[in-house]
Amino acid sequence: MLFAVGHSNDPDSQTAISEVLAQIHTTLAGTSPKGGVLFAAIDFDHALILHRVIKAFPDINLIGGTTDGEMSSVLGFEQDSLTLMVFCSDEVTITAGMGRGLSKDVTAASHSAVQQAKANHKEDIQFCISLPESLTTSGALILDSLKQALGARVPIFGGLTADQWRSEQTYQFFQTEVCSDAVPILLFSGPILFSHGIASGWQPIGKPGRVTKAESNVVYEIDDQPALAFYQRYLGDLPPSSEYPLALFDADSNRYYMRAPIEIHDATIGSIIFFGDVPVQSMVQITETTHDNILAASRQSTQQALENYPGQAPAAALFFSCASRRQILGSRTGEEYEQAQHCLTQPLPSCGFYTNGEIAPLQQHGTTYFHNETFITLLLGAE
Amino acid sequence: MSSDVIDPQVEVQQLERENRILKKKLERSNANCLNLEETAQKKESLLRQVIHELGESKESEALLEKQSCELEQALKDLKRTQTQLVQAEKMSSLGQLVAGIAHEINNPVNFIHGNLNHVQDYAQNLLDFVQLYQSHYPNPTPEIQIEAEEIDLEFIQTDLPKILDSMKMGTDRIRQIVLSLRNFSRMDEAEFKTVDIHEGIDSTLLILQHRLKDKPESPSIQVIRNYGDLPLVACYPGQLNQAFMNILANAIDALEEVNTKRTYEEIRENPSQITIETSLVDSTSVKISISDNGIGMPESVQQRIFDPFFTTKAVGKGTGMGMSISHQIITEKHGGRLDCFSTPGKRTEFMIQIPVHH
Repeated sequence: MLFAVGHSNDPDSQTAISEVLAQIHTTLAGTSPKGGVLFAAIDFDHALILHRVIKAFPDINLIGGTTDGEMSSVLGFEQDSLTLMVFCSDEVTITAGMGRGLSKDVTAASHSAVQQAKANHKEDIQFCISLPESLTTSGALILDSLKQALGARVPIFGGLTADQWRSEQTYQFFQTEVCSDAVPILLFSGPILFSHGIASGWQPIGKPGRVTKAESNVVYEIDDQPALAFYQRYLGDLPPSSEYPLALFDADSNRYYMRAPIEIHDATIGSIIFFGDVPVQSMVQITETTHDNILAASRQSTQQALENYPGQAPAAALFFSCASRRQILGSRTGEEYEQAQHCLTQPLPSCGFYTNGEIAPLQQHGTTYFHNETFITLLLGAE
Repeated sequence: MSSDVIDPQVEVQQLERENRILKKKLERSNANCLNLEETAQKKESLLRQVIHELGESKESEALLEKQSCELEQALKDLKRTQTQLVQAEKMSSLGQLVAGIAHEINNPVNFIHGNLNHVQDYAQNLLDFVQLYQSHYPNPTPEIQIEAEEIDLEFIQTDLPKILDSMKMGTDRIRQIVLSLRNFSRMDEAEFKTVDIHEGIDSTLLILQHRLKDKPESPSIQVIRNYGDLPLVACYPGQLNQAFMNILANAIDALEEVNTKRTYEEIRENPSQITIETSLVDSTSVKISISDNGIGMPESVQQRIFDPFFTTKAVGKGTGMGMSISHQIITEKHGGRLDCFSTPGKRTEFMIQIPVHH
C-alpha cells in the first residue's frame, strides 16, 4: 500500500493545489490513487481545488473539509494551507459517501452516506474516516447515527470541520462537491492494518456542579442557575469558549470526558451550545490545561497508537487535533506535530488538521466516541 | 540553466508567493493575537477564582463541621428508627395473635351462647313446674317447707331468670367483642367489598372501649357520634378499620396526655371528647371527620405527621408508623385523602375523604 502527501502554504488556490499535486505525483510515480483526504483552510477556492484533484486522479474517492489549521510530514504545522493525503492499493477497497442536510434529518443523512459508500465493498468494513459538519448539528448525534448505520463494530475516526475559530460556516468535500451541513465518509475494507491513540491533557479545576436542565447539546442550567453563570464565575465577562470545556464525570468513577462550548445560545436565559450532547444530571467541572500538558498528551497519543499497531511498522499517519489545543498552544502549536513525530522511529508520510471535535474509540476496537480537546493519532499500513 | 543564474520571471513568481504568504500571515496574526489575549485573560480569571475558592474552603471547614453534626443527628435518627421498626414488628405479631385468639374464642362462646337459650327454657319450665306444684299443694310437708326456706326458694325463683338474662348479656358482649376483633383485623377479608363504614367505626370504638371508659384517675372520654346517612362504601374494610383505629388511638393518646395535667374534677367540668362526624360530600365520596378537644399540635408536628417513623412519643410507645400507614391506606389504597387540621392549644381534626366507588 502506498501513501503520498502534498502540502502547500500558498494562499493562492491555483498555485497551492499545483504544488500539492506536484509533490504527490513525484511520490506516486504514475500509480493511481484509490482514496484521499483533503484538509483545506477556510479562505481557499475549494471548488477549484477539488476539480483539480479529480482531474489529476480520476479514480480517487475523495473526501475533505475545512480546518482550523493543517499539518503534514511535508511542512509540519501550518495555517491557511492546503494538504492532501492519497492512498494507493490494489487489494484494499476504498469508497466514499456523502450525507447532506444533517440539521434537517441527521439519521437520514448519515444513513445515505453509509449506504452510498458501502455499496462496493465485498469484505467487512475495517474502519471509517469521517469529516462531518460541526456548527449545525451536535457532533455526538451525528456520530450516533453513523454508528447505527455502520454497526457498532466498525470504528470511526476523524474530526469535525472548522472555520478558524470564526463559528460562521464550515465546509465538507465529496469528490468535486463543496457542502455545508453534510457528513462525508471514507470506508476501508481488505488487508489494511490500523491502530490509534487518543489523549487530551485537560484537567478539571474549581467546584463541580450538576447539570439541572439541558436538551441535547444545549445546557440551560447548572445547579439550578443559568449555565452561563457557572462559566462567568470562572471566566468573568468573557464568553465561554472551547479551550475551557466542561469535564463530564462518569456516574460512579473519576473518569471524565469533555464537552466544549460553541457559543452562547440565549444570552437572556444564559444557555450555552456545546459541540456534543450533555445529559441532564451530569456532574460537570470546568477544566484548564497548560502547554506542557497538551504537548505531553500529543506524544502519549502517538505512543499509544504505535504500541497497538498490529503489523511490523505503520506506513502512514493521520492526526486529528482539537482547535482549542492550537488556540492555547499559540506559537508553540508546531511542537505538537513535532512531539507526535518524535515517537516514530522513521519518518512517515502523515497529514492532519485542527478540528472542532474529534472522533475515535476510547480503546482499540471499542465503541466510537465523540471527543473535545483531544489529539487522535491514526496509524495505517498494509499486511 | 546553471544554479547561480536566476530566471527573473521565476524570481518574481517566488517573491509574489512569499508576499502572499506573508500577507496572509499578517492578517492571521492579528486575529490570533486577539484570540490568545482573550484565552490568557480567561485563564487568569479562572485561576483567580480558583484561588478565591481555596480561600473560601477555610470557611467551608465550618460548613463541614455543621455537616458532620447533621450526619451525627441522622445516625441518631436511624438508630431510633431501628428501635421503632423492631417495635412495629412486635405490634404486627401482636395483631396476628389477637386475630387468632378472637377466632379461637368464637367457637366456645357461641357454644355457651347457643345453649343458654335451652338453659333458659329448661329453667323456666322447672320454675313453672315448682309454681304449679305450690299452687296444688299450698301446705307442703314440714321437711319440704324447711328445705325451701333453707335454699331461699322464693329468691331463686326471682333471681334465676335474672342471672340467666345477665349471663346472656355477658355472652352477647363477648360475641360482640370477638366479632369486633375479627371485624377489625379482617384477616380473612383482604379483598375489596362494599361495607357500612359506621359498622367499622363502631367495631373500632368497641375495641378501644377499655381506654374510653371511666378510670379512677379520670372520668370517661365522651364519644359523640354524628353519623350522616351514608351509602355502602367500596373499600378494603380491614385496612380502613386499621386507619380508624390509628386515628382514634392517636386522639385518645392526645387526650390522656392532657388529662395527666388535670384533676378528676377539672376533667369532669370540661370532659374529654372525641367527635366523629360522617357525611356525604357529593354522590361520589364520603367524609369522615374524627376530632378531639385535646391540646392540638404545633405546625412543625403537623407538617411531619404523615412521615414514616415520625413520632412525638417515647421510644417503645409509638412506632411512628400509625399515621403514615393510615395516610397510605387512605390515599394509595382507596384513592382518597387524609388531612390534618390542628389549632395548637385547642383541637385536632383528621378528615378522611374516600370515594364511594373506587
